[in-house]
Amino acid sequence: MTRFANLIESVGGTPLVGLPTISPSADVRLWAKLEDQNPTGSIKDRAALAMIEAAEADGRLTPGCTILEPTSGNTGISMAMVAKMRGYRMVCVMPENTSEERRQLLRMWGAEIIPSPAAGGSNEAVRVAKGIAAEHPDWVMLYQYGNPANAGAHYSGTGPEILADLPEVTHFVGGLGTTGTLMGVGRFFREHKPEVRIVAAEPRYGELVYGLRNMDEGFVPELYDESMIDARFSVGPRDAVRRVRELIDSEGIFAGISTGAILHAALAQAAKSITAGESADIVFVVCDGGWKYLSTGAYEGTLDEAEDALEGQLWA
Amino acid sequence: MAIEVRIPTILRTYTGGERAVESTGASVAEVIDALESAHPGIKERLVEDGAVRRFVNIYVDDEDIRFTGALETPVAESSTVVILPAVAGGAVSDLAAQGPAPLPA
Repeated sequence: MTRFANLIESVGGTPLVGLPTISPSADVRLWAKLEDQNPTGSIKDRAALAMIEAAEADGRLTPGCTILEPTSGNTGISMAMVAKMRGYRMVCVMPENTSEERRQLLRMWGAEIIPSPAAGGSNEAVRVAKGIAAEHPDWVMLYQYGNPANAGAHYSGTGPEILADLPEVTHFVGGLGTTGTLMGVGRFFREHKPEVRIVAAEPRYGELVYGLRNMDEGFVPELYDESMIDARFSVGPRDAVRRVRELIDSEGIFAGISTGAILHAALAQAAKSITAGESADIVFVVCDGGWKYLSTGAYEGTLDEAEDALEGQLWA
Repeated sequence: MAIEVRIPTILRTYTGGERAVESTGASVAEVIDALESAHPGIKERLVEDGAVRRFVNIYVDDEDIRFTGALETPVAESSTVVILPAVAGGAVSDLAAQGPAPLPA
């Protein structure tokens, strides 16, 4: 069905498209799940809607409420859209050094932006948001890294859609950030087609991003459950950019940089299947389109230039 | 040909500031033991009770060893071993200590 009563009802139900050119052989096929075709242009529409509806159902969110989330990315944009449609006030805490495009997008969907100091990045935004939440106990922070409804959106949506469109699926490849996509789709396939292998693509950033004071201060999202995945690939910016360019050259799909990292892992899996002499139908996620990342420099110039441009950036 | 091991910034105190060092061994465990011989103290930062520490990720040729046999994961002469601290997409290093968002009263 392609008719909906309103925009929110059109979240999900995204196309699954074959990739005849980039698939390595007739027996090892790649398929792209086009999550950029959600209403605000990213897979985060699913999680934002599910988290808001879960909070409505358990009574945390009531008409006129204010939603607070420390986010500068797709989740904030998705939450702002749903909040606008449902009549909530949306407040995003974001580092003051975030791009003007992001600010404009959030403002267009009606979000208010509270700046947090540039030094400290997302850490600082979370700290500021928690301080604000303490001052405003009636505001609701949905916290995507630990909110089960984030994974639930993919357990009840993304996973079943893939199985319905491609019953012969053998592998699912997704990006590892909040871990919501992989946890939800992983749990769905563990229960409904356990032979499907779940593969994670984890972005590997520049040194600055890993500048922790201590090895014991790392962060693993509360949602993460290692038993839901079968393989985990670390992908650097050079491979991500190379693959995102290949995807538009060979299949005409204009995707964001994180999708390049996911495609890289999907092709690594495809190479293993070929070596093993197995046939495979490998589904991977196109998280969003490339529009929001044009200013990063990833889409122009040589790979060396793109790699330099992404150094120190949170490109996924 | 030696195995290249890439060292994260916060462990370079053990390697005299080197970003990458050479090691030997047929498994990750052997590579770490050889690393310990050359750079005493580093093993304890990576391994605890015979397993990789919670906030440490080790990759052999870009694949997380937790899914390929853990410390027994084979390492080839041409392999690259990368050691990284676990971070979220937002590089939120002290989120774990802060815990999940407080629920409204």
